[in-house]
Amino acid sequence: MKKLLLAIVLTLAFAVPALAGSGELYLYIWSEYIPDEVVENFTKETGIKVHLSTYDSNEAMYAKIKLAGDGYDLIVPSSDYVGLMRRQDMLLPLDKSKLTNFPNLSDKFTDQPFDPDNTFSVPYMWGSTAIAVNTGTLGEAAVTSYADLWKPEMNGRLLLPNDPREVFAIALKSLGYSLNDTDPAHLEQAYQKLKALMPYVRVFDSDSPKQALLSGEVSVGVIWNGEAYIANQENPEIQYVYPKEGFSMWMDSLCIPKGAKNLDEAHAFLNYLLRPDVAAAISTEMGYSTPNAKAAEFLEPEVAGNPIVYPDAATAAHGEFQDDIGEAMKLYEDYWVKLKGSND
Amino acid sequence: MNIWVKRAYAALVFAFLYLPLVVIAVYSFNASKYSLAWKGFTLQWYGRLLDNATLVDAAFRSMTIAVVSATVSCVIGTLAAFMLHQYRFRGRRAVFASIFVMMMSPDIVIGISLLVLFLGVGLSLGFWTLLMGHVTLCVPFVTATVYTRFKGFDPTVVEAARDLGAVEYQVFRRIVLPMAAPGLVAGWLLSFTMSLDDVIVSFFTTGPTYEVLPLRIYSMVRLGIKPDVNALSVVMITVTVAAVLLSRRLLKEKS
Repeated sequence: MKKLLLAIVLTLAFAVPALAGSGELYLYIWSEYIPDEVVENFTKETGIKVHLSTYDSNEAMYAKIKLAGDGYDLIVPSSDYVGLMRRQDMLLPLDKSKLTNFPNLSDKFTDQPFDPDNTFSVPYMWGSTAIAVNTGTLGEAAVTSYADLWKPEMNGRLLLPNDPREVFAIALKSLGYSLNDTDPAHLEQAYQKLKALMPYVRVFDSDSPKQALLSGEVSVGVIWNGEAYIANQENPEIQYVYPKEGFSMWMDSLCIPKGAKNLDEAHAFLNYLLRPDVAAAISTEMGYSTPNAKAAEFLEPEVAGNPIVYPDAATAAHGEFQDDIGEAMKLYEDYWVKLKGSND
Repeated sequence: MNIWVKRAYAALVFAFLYLPLVVIAVYSFNASKYSLAWKGFTLQWYGRLLDNATLVDAAFRSMTIAVVSATVSCVIGTLAAFMLHQYRFRGRRAVFASIFVMMMSPDIVIGISLLVLFLGVGLSLGFWTLLMGHVTLCVPFVTATVYTRFKGFDPTVVEAARDLGAVEYQVFRRIVLPMAAPGLVAGWLLSFTMSLDDVIVSFFTTGPTYEVLPLRIYSMVRLGIKPDVNALSVVMITVTVAAVLLSRRLLKEKS
């Protein structure tokens, strides 16, 4: 961390020129998702005062923006909500001429289906949802694919996310479909497959699934990599497996909502976050992966070399981002209620 | 036998109420960041808390809004209770009923309807809208506590004061207020607590300029609650307990 701070201090020499109007910036973001130092340094460099407010879910953020409308200059929705808010005309297009650091992003993360050409969004952090296995209780080779979750020895030892999209992604991927599939026949197949899996589930948890793994209540869980990273630090026997069939990836992007007033400040902040040293500082502090390709040289080797945080290119190519699926969500929800009901 | 059953029952109730607080306090000194295992004694979370400016700012904002909204609610609530107790006027029953309706309304309904109202009037969301939201939330409870206190009055005292030439304001200031003080303090503390831990109404009625602590903590679930929060909880519990003890002492001295 010290090294990084030093790097940040050194790069202050090449700081972005301060803006004429020392303005304000209202950032609406997940809690604890941006280090205080990063924000403070931005204020030091530009004189722009950043006001943070936080939300706990995409739904909450969406509700607030939809209802209250103005007052926020930057929001950080997940990929499917970028798609949704883009289609509902709730976002402002970005002025790319002000984002000189945009090319620092790896093209693996730009130009995604949920926002072609990144007209509205700048990738901030990304990660994956895959399988955490306690190799101490299940053995090294117990799980290599989603199909292995249906093995009888998983009975009563399985944790799934409390989220219909993530759970359907497991079945859809193991059937060879896209996790954004909306074909009712495919969803029916996925539902039938999941019905067979339900008796094995001991816990549904999206908030802090690492706890159940660490306490030994479950031995295998479909969780996201940030949680797996912490669990693995606490107990090295808990390993993270990228399933063969492919897996779901999540990405949070920065967007400017309609009704934002401080557009220059917002663009200045976006461009600042796109700097390799800043992106690396955020990634190291938070334990999530940065989509910034040039940040690698600033990362601590133990983070950059950890496959839980940075899977190799071949593995990452199997990942797929969630997009908004519109009307099909109702089908998902109906099946979800049936599945959860059958589990009581 | 009987006395032991009673004692055991009381002990259970208190354990149920206070054990969570004890657990939080213990974990705020636990060196382990994520797991529930005890990994030695540390004060580092308290140090980290001091460095976590955004969290401490949110805590101060929460305290400010709680003190101000409790005080405003007390003024409005006490006046309302006095009116309801002292006078018979048209619409009194309706006022009564509306207070109870407010108490029974789910927070989410209050929150959304206030937001729609504020947006309709064209107010920008921030400290003032949040204050109005919290006052709306607390006034019915203050009114109810103070009203029950008035109910236990001896009405002849007020009549005697009037016979001796006290005007309405003097009656209120010299007789009613001192007698209602315990109810007032209870109402104030209740409001303070409600304001301090309200999430739902705050979420809808506050804006980007004024974020309060419960919202900040609530939105940590995505990345895991950090131990700084345990430390902060202990600090806030301590402050609250101190406030309660202090208010009790002040009341004792008065009577």
